[in-house]
Amino acid sequence: MAVDKAFEEVLEFVWSLREAGSNSIKALLEIDEVKEAEADSSTLEAMQRDGLLTLDNDSITLTNKGEKLAEAAIRRHRLAERLLTEVLAMDTDSVEKNACSFEHTLSPEVTDRICALLGHPPTCPHGLPVPRGECCKKSKDAVKPIVEPLTELGVGDSGRIIFILSGSHARLDKLSALGIVPGSVLHVHQKRPAFVLQLGETSLAFDADIVKEIYVKKMS
Amino acid sequence: MHKHEDAPIKHASSNLVLVGNPNVGKSVIFGALTGRYATVSNYPGTTVEVARGAFTARGRSFGVIDSPGVNSLVPMSEDERVTRDILLGHEADAVLQVMDAKNLRRGLLVTIQLVEMGLPVTLALNMYDEAGERGITIDDDVLSRLTGLRVIPTIATQRWNMDKLDHAFFNDTPVSSEMRYPQAIEDGIKALETIAPRARITARALAIMLLSGDTTLDGFLKRSLSEDGIRKIEATRREVQARFTEPLGYIINRARLKVVDAMIGKVVTRSEAGHGRIASFIGRYSTHPVWGIPILLAVLFIMYEFVGVLGAGKSVDFLQRMVFEAYLNPWVTRVVEYAFPSGVIRDLIVGEYGLVTMALTYAIAIILPVVGFFFIFFGFLEDSGYLPRLAVMVDRVFKSMGLNGKAVLPMVLGLGCDTMATMTTRILETKKERVIVTLLLALGVPCSAQLGVILGMLAAISWKATVIWAGAVLFIMFIVGYASSKIVPGAASDFMLEIPPIRLPQFRNIVLKTVVRVQWYLKEAVPLFILGTLFLFVLDKTHALGAVEYVASPFVVGFLNLPIEATQAFIVGFLRRDYGAAGLFALQQKGMLDPIQVVVSLVTITLFIPCIANLFMIIKERGLKTAIIMTAFIFPFAALMGGILNLILRLLNPSL
Repeated sequence: MAVDKAFEEVLEFVWSLREAGSNSIKALLEIDEVKEAEADSSTLEAMQRDGLLTLDNDSITLTNKGEKLAEAAIRRHRLAERLLTEVLAMDTDSVEKNACSFEHTLSPEVTDRICALLGHPPTCPHGLPVPRGECCKKSKDAVKPIVEPLTELGVGDSGRIIFILSGSHARLDKLSALGIVPGSVLHVHQKRPAFVLQLGETSLAFDADIVKEIYVKKMS
Repeated sequence: MHKHEDAPIKHASSNLVLVGNPNVGKSVIFGALTGRYATVSNYPGTTVEVARGAFTARGRSFGVIDSPGVNSLVPMSEDERVTRDILLGHEADAVLQVMDAKNLRRGLLVTIQLVEMGLPVTLALNMYDEAGERGITIDDDVLSRLTGLRVIPTIATQRWNMDKLDHAFFNDTPVSSEMRYPQAIEDGIKALETIAPRARITARALAIMLLSGDTTLDGFLKRSLSEDGIRKIEATRREVQARFTEPLGYIINRARLKVVDAMIGKVVTRSEAGHGRIASFIGRYSTHPVWGIPILLAVLFIMYEFVGVLGAGKSVDFLQRMVFEAYLNPWVTRVVEYAFPSGVIRDLIVGEYGLVTMALTYAIAIILPVVGFFFIFFGFLEDSGYLPRLAVMVDRVFKSMGLNGKAVLPMVLGLGCDTMATMTTRILETKKERVIVTLLLALGVPCSAQLGVILGMLAAISWKATVIWAGAVLFIMFIVGYASSKIVPGAASDFMLEIPPIRLPQFRNIVLKTVVRVQWYLKEAVPLFILGTLFLFVLDKTHALGAVEYVASPFVVGFLNLPIEATQAFIVGFLRRDYGAAGLFALQQKGMLDPIQVVVSLVTITLFIPCIANLFMIIKERGLKTAIIMTAFIFPFAALMGGILNLILRLLNPSL
């Protein structure tokens, strides 16, 4: 179902405005991004005609149909933010810019895949809730994300490294010299007082700071 | 600890360098080849500087160089750098790479780099037995075919196949490196090959190191290139880096690991093997957040019993009272008195500050048994593989001192000898960490000789006195560590440490290590003991001792509340604090110190700089300025802490 990009943008802001505790049309139209999407009161009226929302004086309410679309758009947006921040390690400014254009091209299927890749994150990088998708509701899947920080594994678990997110060159160099690179399998021996990991026949001790930057896929 | 024995072998026709990951047995092989003893232990970082020896095969003599372990030839710490520099220089004619057969992956990562350097490499697959025990089978022939190198399985600790290592000495043909990297990196290598200065190693290897952003090469570049050349290198590096999001060193290592993994797939077969050995059980529990603590306490208790009670108590008692005081000293006195009935010479040898009655009695009767017992215990601890596990337990505490768990290795080694431990700070990655650990070693870590005397004195009082002494010293060290982490500029490094398997120490190695260390101790300490005694003797004869005691009296008697005779102990404590401790020991034996005085004087002397040799090592490793600052801080601070402890103890007046 193709929805006008401006409509989608408006729906998202109605949603986030509501999270902030407001349903004012005036406040909505004041938002910069809404202005940028060239949405004005006529857009809102067009959306009302399409049955996405209802307008009453200054207050705005989503219809069931609008609610669903808004939820999906918010979900895409916030997952995109997480993907760009955590996996692609982009800085805050470019995350916002890219997340906005990225979200409109994501199919539901890709969205669910990203959600699983990120381990069904409950919140976006700003701490706002990511609406749950079908994928998160499948009970088994919800507690077993595909990729998670190694710190999330239990003692005795093994994980295959998918990526290492570190801003420190020295750290990456050192890890790779020890053979810790994507594809390697690490076994968690202990988590406290420091991490003890097994790689092949080598036991290595690490700080939790380093271990939380190593993202793995748990092996059964 | 015996570098003075290792005179460079100048006339050897060629040199073989032993290279490999940390803790794979290079020093054992070095010992087997050359007959020289290089310290062997079961933790990474035992060797921090090169050792040299000679080897003769088929009528030709060769030099053998033992090097600190490396995980990469782009060094991350100073000990790794020592190894890289040997390979970079013109000394290395051939390399014997020692590998842990059960950890081929990390070994081959280094092999690729050695081959890239254009060095003739031979591989020793050491600990072949341990690999077998763990169900790892290695096809040596296939490995040899894939790498193009001669592969020799070895078990160095049992001297197995050592005779086959001859090949490495006569190997003078490097194989060509087939390792290729992503195109952008290859382009960068080509560009840098033309700029890089000529060295023993190939231009390609040097280019790859430069691309990895190896800053430790800066000095080498500055010596051999124009500023323009250096700028070009940096520009090329940036250009190539701009094409990747991940650091180049990381991408290069990943490419290598891919090749290594493909190789291992063809060479290594694994079968399920029993892992339920007692050793791995102990290994697991010794780092456990709960069980690790009782294990640590048990280790400390055994040390107290073995070194303090048995070594410093019973053996010292025997040697001093029986051998020296009952027989040797009266006998020497008789002989000397016969030859020199009276006068200065008599006093010099057997007087109150006599070379035999004081210097030798202290060195041989008090300190030697203590040092011997300590080194036996310590050797056992080192070879068992417990020490790196201790690092895991203390990582958090060390974090608040701007360090990480790895710093516990030099600190514990300091219990053996602070001078050597100061050199071992090279295994730490940042300058800040090295400075803080050097300071803490000089300030609070008692060396074996002193520790033994201290434990002996404290054991004669009660365990409570021991706890107060240890608690006070640890607390002061922690506070100083915490404060210096705020003051010393720089950053801490990540805690990444290899944990070797728990192994049953070999009796032979412990004996050998203890003998070497005791010999070294005698060489190092006895001359200083004699010097200190001569100094006291001169002070006494010129009646300056009384004057010094008079001047020091407000401080020693007033502030520290000690008998005036303790001044002598403090004076010689400037030379060696174990000598000072031995002086206090003698005072205690004469009944001149009450329990609180023992604790106060011991805490004060513990905080002194260990010895003159240590001071020289600080100057060598950290520079004169740092050494002066540390000295200026340590002595007044030691005195202040002693005084404060005295006040606290007098106020609380615990029953000891």
